[in-house]
Amino acid sequence: MKIIVKSIVLIATIALLLPVASNAQRPSPELFFKAAGSPVNPKLQVSWNRYHSYDGIVDFCERLERKHPNLVTLTSVGKSYEGRDMILLTITEKGDTEHQHKPGYYVNANIHAAEIQGSEMAMYMAWYLTEMYAEGNVFIRELLRDKTIYIMPTINPDGRENFLWEPNTGSSPRGGMVPRDNDRDGLFDEDGFADLNNDGVITQMRRRNPDGDWKTDPNDPRRMIRVAPGEQGEWELLGREGQIDEDGDGRADEDRVGMYDPNRDWGYNWRPNYVQSGASQFPFALPESRAVRDFGFEHMNIAGVQLYHNTGGMILRGPSVQGGGSEVYSREDNMVLDRIGRIGERMIPGYRLLTIWSDLYTVWGGEYDWWHGAMGAYVYCNELWTGYLMFNEPGRGDQYEFDRLLLFEDAFIPWEEVDHPVFGKVEVGGFNKNFGRIHPGFLFESDAHRNTAFCLLHAYHTPQVKVDDIEIEDIGGGLRRVTATITNDRMMPTHSGQNLRYNIDPPNYIYLDGGEVIAGFIVNERNHLGNDFEQRHNPQRMEVRNISGQSSVKVRWIVSSGNRFTVRVESVKGGRDSKEVR
Amino acid sequence: MKIQFKSLIVAIAVVTSVQAYGQYRDHATLSRDLNDLARSYPTISELTSLVKTEGGKDIWLLTIGTGNKHEKPGIAVFGGVEGNHLLGIEMAAGFAEHLLRDSETQEVRDLLSNVTFYVFPNVSPDASQQYFADLRYDRKWNARPVEANRANRGEGVPFSDLNGDGYITMMRVEHPAGTHVPSRDDPRVMVRADLARGERGLYLMFPEGAESNNGGRPAENIEGGVNFNNNWSFNYQEFGRHAGPHAVSEPETEAVAEFLFDHFNIYAVFAFGPQDNLAQPMRSGERRAGTREITSILRTDETINRLVSSRYREVTGVRGTPVTTNVSGNFMEWAYFHYGRYSFSTPGWWFPQERGANSEVAFLKYAEESGRNDIFVPWQEVNHPDFPERKVEVGGIKPFVMTNPPAEMVSGIVESNYRFVKEVAGMHPDLQFIDIEVDNVGSDIYRLTLSVHNRGFFATIAEIGAPNQFVRLPRITLELARGQEILSGDRVQQLGRIEGTRSREFIWLIRGRGNIDIRTGDINTGVINTTVNIR
Repeated sequence: MKIIVKSIVLIATIALLLPVASNAQRPSPELFFKAAGSPVNPKLQVSWNRYHSYDGIVDFCERLERKHPNLVTLTSVGKSYEGRDMILLTITEKGDTEHQHKPGYYVNANIHAAEIQGSEMAMYMAWYLTEMYAEGNVFIRELLRDKTIYIMPTINPDGRENFLWEPNTGSSPRGGMVPRDNDRDGLFDEDGFADLNNDGVITQMRRRNPDGDWKTDPNDPRRMIRVAPGEQGEWELLGREGQIDEDGDGRADEDRVGMYDPNRDWGYNWRPNYVQSGASQFPFALPESRAVRDFGFEHMNIAGVQLYHNTGGMILRGPSVQGGGSEVYSREDNMVLDRIGRIGERMIPGYRLLTIWSDLYTVWGGEYDWWHGAMGAYVYCNELWTGYLMFNEPGRGDQYEFDRLLLFEDAFIPWEEVDHPVFGKVEVGGFNKNFGRIHPGFLFESDAHRNTAFCLLHAYHTPQVKVDDIEIEDIGGGLRRVTATITNDRMMPTHSGQNLRYNIDPPNYIYLDGGEVIAGFIVNERNHLGNDFEQRHNPQRMEVRNISGQSSVKVRWIVSSGNRFTVRVESVKGGRDSKEVR
Repeated sequence: MKIQFKSLIVAIAVVTSVQAYGQYRDHATLSRDLNDLARSYPTISELTSLVKTEGGKDIWLLTIGTGNKHEKPGIAVFGGVEGNHLLGIEMAAGFAEHLLRDSETQEVRDLLSNVTFYVFPNVSPDASQQYFADLRYDRKWNARPVEANRANRGEGVPFSDLNGDGYITMMRVEHPAGTHVPSRDDPRVMVRADLARGERGLYLMFPEGAESNNGGRPAENIEGGVNFNNNWSFNYQEFGRHAGPHAVSEPETEAVAEFLFDHFNIYAVFAFGPQDNLAQPMRSGERRAGTREITSILRTDETINRLVSSRYREVTGVRGTPVTTNVSGNFMEWAYFHYGRYSFSTPGWWFPQERGANSEVAFLKYAEESGRNDIFVPWQEVNHPDFPERKVEVGGIKPFVMTNPPAEMVSGIVESNYRFVKEVAGMHPDLQFIDIEVDNVGSDIYRLTLSVHNRGFFATIAEIGAPNQFVRLPRITLELARGQEILSGDRVQQLGRIEGTRSREFIWLIRGRGNIDIRTGDINTGVINTTVNIR
């Protein structure tokens, strides 16, 4: 009986779902005319003017995988503290080459809980790549043939959900949901903000006070301005909504949830909490950063990394500490980072290429340093959103004017009187948590596209090794000389300075198959004395430590037998290639 | 005939090794002993396995305490901090054995009512097991073959025992471009030829190993694995040899770190390992300070270190100081600088040696004077496939003998160090209320004054713990009677750091009569209560 009821429910459910499913089909193509650079009628229809919840992200990724099974693989790399899957999109043309054997490019976002638009930008990239591939764009097709793009839309899903659904400011929380005893009293997360007007947002508090130093802007009742010298005040500002001492220790809101920094938890140039505030007990103490670490160690092919943050319109590069700590930045590394970054400044108006320690502040144990220092990748960290985008004017821009003229005051929560247990009657109001650090809806897609284009430039310039040219010469005595030119026509070298200094990856291996190898050399053509480097050990597999950006190396073998030769190159971060000659 | 001869040699080798290596316990024996011990004292001890190493060995934790044992000040005791230091394992395990055997004495009963001990007898079981293996070599690294130097993973060649004596010692190869010569002080010891003294090298030196198939490069120790005592975040060396892929990367280091940080009651750590700050206390200002980083012991902690060090000399009667270097990522300094607790360490035994002198020469001299045999493998010629034309000899000081005393000395060292830790444990922070006064200031208003006094020698928290977010800060809290209110002063406030033998005064203005319950301290200092009646 029960079974029958169940199947009826099931049938009813299917019946309900069917029309939805057919609605999800692509609309008829004659309804649209293509705009340059965007997919005209994408398989997956997405509105890029709102934000996804965690479930929304998962749903998007699942649908993207279903629409583009030839390109997309959705997996989980681990669980967050609260048990959410840390999801990963692997995007590449699925063919004969394994994704780990192509140069990898990795994007993650949302390490700071409130910095949510990076997730959407990472999703935009996934969507754009797959839809443009499906449309036949030549650049994207070649990119996904040659490279593997790894995307983790959020590496702090717990914190993201807390930001979205719990009372928060535009910058809280920073961390995830691992309990932390910030005031060191034995209680965890016991003294947070208080949402006095129950609107899910923590804004500002003001109290009428003729001795206060603030007044209402006569031209805009939303805005508070400082009184002029000698002028009578109207308000005192009481800080963030809350200021209630829940644990009775004389301090308010000092032990909130997520008051730690997952971006100080990484095992390179790590320092403890009293040197680097926000750090955990030891490196990789958090389950989320551990999951990313384990993923990284299994994907040494990742040569380029983008870490999306907000805010301020910055393309950040290392070092994160003066002198780099234990990191190396070679001349070539600096050249690559600066050249790609400078192009990025043109691609993303309002964004500037900056160096973390000197232009921003010192960061110990940041994720940037781990990818650069421990993994040998070339990394940028884009701080998304800048006030420049409000009126396309330098400077921070006037949020009140922008909200009034362009958002119709949708971003402002009007002042409202509430009772505060300590301060009495106060007013609560201010900008919503979705304004100030994250993009307003209508400006999102354009900035997402620009940042995506920058990432794809960066991804394109991960090293790409190719067997270019093979010459065979008969040198008598049954011997032949086989000379192969191996190129890397991209900006990044196969091995960064850090990679070379610490042997993070093995050298590039260049094999000659199909003959008896007597000797092998790396040819130094610039040295007219012919002082080639002979590799005495196992010359069939030549070891080339590095192939610089936009350059090539020649290797040469003396071979005693065979007449069909295959030259193969294997580079951990530069991919693989082979060529056969007779 | 040849075969018989070989077995005879093997048999002799086994017999001698049993004699020489009798007293130290291997992992299986120690595990059995610890289980028996915990079963014999079920009410005050508990044995748990914190984690299993890659080599499948338990990291044992023996908790010794009474009552709410995790709610009182704790001391953590470690052995096996470095895998070739077998003595440390015996010192830590022996500490637990002595303490439990003495647990019926009034002294230990009193101690356990105030302090809980967390004993980790061996945190390097993968490495220390090499001492009991067929092939013995000075091993400090675990069985997880990860190296920061990842490119070399799996491409190396293990040691091999060329002379079949069961030890990996050194190999010297006569060579015109040699780098080493026999020492003038003791020709058994090989030292680097000093060009400044016009010396020519006669030998190339390698660890004992066979043909390597690695491109004409002679065998070297390429074994992967991570040293517990190089894997900590203070002064950690990125990409260091046996340092791991990052600080606190290993199952055993991570499990130990998590346990220690989860136990806010622990206020001091004793490590029996290669570092020493007991024979010679740490000195404030010994390292150049960074901007915000603390790299030398803080002044009031230095005072306590000196006090503990002088007790160490008195109780154990040791003389001289071991020549040690604070290796990068070591556990003792981590426990102080990054864990924020009092941290003490001693190797427990050392041979007389002057700083800067050749340690092998000093060791052989000491061995001769003290009649210690079976410590050196005489140089012996072998055929070596890598060097067919050259004279190759294998020999040198045996593994483990420079870091571990002969078996017959172990029990005395264990016993004296037990007495030392027991005595220092008695110096724990110990709070009491003093000078409680109530002044009637009129109009039903009373001024309550009291001091919290620390009659212990250790401060309520170490000075290094003050800025460390993961060190508990005790509070002082008032519970008022109905109808009473505080006019001035906080109901809950931080006790602040109170050094040993010092006190701190608190004042409140109270309105109304009744009993006020006052509580202070926390699990790392001990908690005290009192009630003040205002009438």
